[in-house]
Amino acid sequence: MTDRVICGRIDRAGVLVNADTPLLRLQQRAGSGLGKPLALPHLARLAALAQRLQRDISRPLRTADDHSDVHALVRIAPDADGASIEISDWRARAMTPPEMAAAAEDTALADGWTWECDQQLRLVALRAAGSTPPVPPGWEGRSLSEIFELRPDGDGRFPVLRALARQARFDGQSVSVAGAAMTLAGDALFDATGRFTGFRGFASVSEPAGPAPEAKPAPAFVDPAFGSLPLSDPQFGRRIDGALRGPLSRIIATAETISGQFDGPIRADYARYAGDIAHAGRHLLGLVDDLADLQNIERPGFKAARDDIDLGDLARRAVGLLGMKAEEKGIRISAPAADDRMPATGEFRRVLQVLLNLLGNAIRYSPDHSQIWLRVDRQGDRATITVADQGQGIDADQQAVVFEKFERLGRTDSGGSGLGLYIARRLARAMDGELTVDSAPGQGARFTLSLPARDDG
Amino acid sequence: MSESLSFSGAEPPSPTLSARLSELAGFFAAPAAGRLTEEQRALSLGIARRLIAEVAMRIDPAIDSGALWQAWLRSGIPGGTRLAGACFARAEEHRWRRQSAERVIAVPLPSETPDEAAPADASMTARERAYLDLRIADRRRFDAYGQPMLAIADLDGDLFRALLHDVAAWRLAAVSVDTGRAADLGEAVRQAIERQADEPGMTAAAIAYHDALDGALPDAAREAIAAHDWPALIALAAAVQQRRYADMALALLTAEPSALPSLLAPLHLDAEALAPLEASLAMLPARAVSDFDVGAGPEGGR
Repeated sequence: MTDRVICGRIDRAGVLVNADTPLLRLQQRAGSGLGKPLALPHLARLAALAQRLQRDISRPLRTADDHSDVHALVRIAPDADGASIEISDWRARAMTPPEMAAAAEDTALADGWTWECDQQLRLVALRAAGSTPPVPPGWEGRSLSEIFELRPDGDGRFPVLRALARQARFDGQSVSVAGAAMTLAGDALFDATGRFTGFRGFASVSEPAGPAPEAKPAPAFVDPAFGSLPLSDPQFGRRIDGALRGPLSRIIATAETISGQFDGPIRADYARYAGDIAHAGRHLLGLVDDLADLQNIERPGFKAARDDIDLGDLARRAVGLLGMKAEEKGIRISAPAADDRMPATGEFRRVLQVLLNLLGNAIRYSPDHSQIWLRVDRQGDRATITVADQGQGIDADQQAVVFEKFERLGRTDSGGSGLGLYIARRLARAMDGELTVDSAPGQGARFTLSLPARDDG
Repeated sequence: MSESLSFSGAEPPSPTLSARLSELAGFFAAPAAGRLTEEQRALSLGIARRLIAEVAMRIDPAIDSGALWQAWLRSGIPGGTRLAGACFARAEEHRWRRQSAERVIAVPLPSETPDEAAPADASMTARERAYLDLRIADRRRFDAYGQPMLAIADLDGDLFRALLHDVAAWRLAAVSVDTGRAADLGEAVRQAIERQADEPGMTAAAIAYHDALDGALPDAAREAIAAHDWPALIALAAAVQQRRYADMALALLTAEPSALPSLLAPLHLDAEALAPLEASLAMLPARAVSDFDVGAGPEGGR
């Protein structure tokens, strides 16, 4: 292609009176020349039309000489003496023999499958190339990770998932299909608006790498909420956690910088928007925490440590951490007295996590200027701690589901992920304890964590 | 044409000479008409070859489709006239989409909704499912190497039947004439015809997508144009006018710019929405359209 504009001129009779070399050469190859009628049929017709209409015409031009097809854009400007011709975007393509396209498929391509998926990794194409085994039936519309069991690379990463997050090309994604090892590579696809529309790539048959493993790997975990992504894989959880936490932290920090107008004053509504972004970012970060926890505690064999703990001490620590938040709403928290001890057995940080969740919920859903109580007690061999508030309470139906995963009791605000109480109860049970709720509408809520009691000394 | 020619020798004209004279006669008949470019010729020929290989495989996987193709290249492709329209339409659509894709600048933009790039979710809306099926049907029209092909499901029934018979006849002539083999081939042809009826093609997928839109047709068409998602646009236009996908594709690709609004009138698109489509078609070189006044030859203005 040439960026140069190729010029020419015809007179009123359509005779080419001058022309730059490429145009003149074409004219000569068509059996004509300077001082003779324009011999390139398409160009001649356009020129005649422009002259007849007496207005500028800009059109794609196609013509050919004896060894190439020429595609270009032509502008013809008629005037009283004829017309000026300007040709740009001149692209000459060598002619290919007709068999070329057909022969191309005989070109050796590595054995494997070509595939394409949409932006949600649902397969829209899967074809065998070369002497590869046929593709599995019923692949249409299924998740890429259902057909190809994804394997982490040496660093525990999943290249396809990283590429999905980055909307970029990837390679080196190890997979297995019906026991056969393959390697996926793919290019990201975008439409004309720049929207990511999926991947298109190739699954090549991997060379056998040493002896086959003795035990057949377990099939990929399929979670009804998350499809077949390997949520049960701790490596995956760590990677997703790391991949999300960094960008989210940067978003929050930047949004807070803008919101705080640290670099100078900005319009108030822009500062408010930035504050909203920071708030949403913190919410997402909380969700990442919850998902990481969820992934951890739902792992088969999850066990909490059995530390010697004091529920009174943990209650005071929780109040110390969330006291400021309560003060913002004018909420008073009544914590156990400093000498109020309640020895128990459980994992220190997990119990604190449960208490922070209960106390955080109590602050979030309590009216301004109300009160929250934390009380420790012992009932037989159980040590208990209760968090009570003066919120609107929870009716019996809601109590039955409040510990369900993703249950937010119909709330749609950005306050939580709906995972906190589910995780809290799972943690309580993992420590041989229990988490219960006692409430009535308008009467506030009382959440009680009970753990195995421990006799001091 | 042949009646106007006389050859001094006793030998009949060679196929090459005959083809060239036919081509020249066609040129004389319409000197001002644009000719096939080599790219168009190659694409159409490749599509025909892949189609014939696919038809042969459906009759009998043991058929050497390479040998079949070579034989037909020498003797002429049976039913070439019938095949030409289908292959040309597919080739032109491919050329258009390839050119359009080359002009797309892949600028990754953050998704507007956070779950857009989420992994597959079992809960798809009817519209999403129908669009996914349309994409699947579309990608069936490419071979494993990304070359365009005609999916059997999209073929006109008569054309498919004729091709099956032609391939079966070649196979029978090539291997044997025993009646048992003829019966087997006949059965294979019958089964292939039945199988075609059950396969979802672009036309069926287009109707399903159109039906799933539930009143959002103009918006979907506008989005398809903005995204240069030409298969979706063709599908919607075909479904709303109850035409076959291939017919609609050819109608669109050969439409005068001024005819686009009326051709796509059922989609209720305004001129602004149509502009990217018109621009994209205008940039396609060697389109089979008289994009100028055909009566205005070089001498017309004198």
